[in-house]
Amino acid sequence: MNKELEHRFVTQLEENQNIVHKICRLYTNNADAHNDLFQEITIQLWKAFPKFRGDSKFSTWMYRVGLNTAITLYRKSKRTVDTQDFEGVSFKISAEEYDNTEEVQLKLMYDAVKQLNDIDKALVFLYLEDKNYKEISETLGITEVNARVRMNRVKEKLRTILNP
Amino acid sequence: MDELEILKKDWKEKGQTEPKLSYNQIYNMLFKRSTSIVKWIFIISILELVFWMGIFLITPKSSFEVIEKLGATPILYGFNILHYLVVFVFIYYFYKNYTTIKVTDNTKTLMRSILKTRKTVRYFVIYNLVAFALTIIIINIFYYTQSELLLQIMADSYGSEIKNPDDFITVFFIVQVIAGIVMILLLLLFYRLIYGILLGKLKRNYRELERIEV
Repeated sequence: MNKELEHRFVTQLEENQNIVHKICRLYTNNADAHNDLFQEITIQLWKAFPKFRGDSKFSTWMYRVGLNTAITLYRKSKRTVDTQDFEGVSFKISAEEYDNTEEVQLKLMYDAVKQLNDIDKALVFLYLEDKNYKEISETLGITEVNARVRMNRVKEKLRTILNP
Repeated sequence: MDELEILKKDWKEKGQTEPKLSYNQIYNMLFKRSTSIVKWIFIISILELVFWMGIFLITPKSSFEVIEKLGATPILYGFNILHYLVVFVFIYYFYKNYTTIKVTDNTKTLMRSILKTRKTVRYFVIYNLVAFALTIIIINIFYYTQSELLLQIMADSYGSEIKNPDDFITVFFIVQVIAGIVMILLLLLFYRLIYGILLGKLKRNYRELERIEV
């Protein structure tokens, strides 16, 4: 394999690894699964890298491959059990012992987002990453209008989860 | 303020505190094996193609002898040529669809091309099951019309006279039919399982995307 290509790839991924971590955070519930998914996304990115022309930004290209891997290609390995990460939850709460409503609200919100289905998660993720509806629709392969409509529904869904 | 805006603010702040992997940690990942479902679909599909082609090859010679003695060899050859033509067409389409799977496509297109690839193999399996069932039916009808001759051949190969020819024929056909049905049911169950495990999540998400488009 081409050493220079490897070097170029790893350097760019190292710089932009935040994007992949964020995807993993949204789509997995524990550290093992997080690492597993990170690895799979890295492999998929690397496999697709020789065809990466650089006509789009490396980070933009990463969003697409990363999300596709999380939603479509990735299969949980057996050792990662799909349960709520109770340890993490209780830790966060005890760390914020004083009654901080915004913290509590955020915590609820993250939990609510985690309950969404894979597609809605992707919408929220891209939205949180400041992507406009054009980019969101292009990444997921739906029309811009539908992306907008769906996003509004997701917001509503989150609102009802937070204010039952 | 919009709930999601609060989340966005926090998301950006937290984004800075994500774990950092070193250059070497990332570099080592390049050589790990992928667990992608596309890889598994490819492997399983190839196994299925090989399995169904292999079935014919491992059929014992003796079962062809019966057919030969009954004078049905030309029919068998005809079916075989047709069968391999069909197999070839399936392999061609499988390969063609497989090469269109690109992780850099948008999510919907990617899912569609995976499902299409898998569908080709599914049709191949269905074709084989149907062909299998048809072969059993045709052979048995043929046996039935030639039951005298069949008895003779059976008696020859077992080296003894068959005492109750009518009973023998009845049992013979019942066994053939039951064995055929059991085989087909087992195969169907097997495919249901594999298909469900591999594609459950993908199909669910694909349906979700389609629902958005309505």
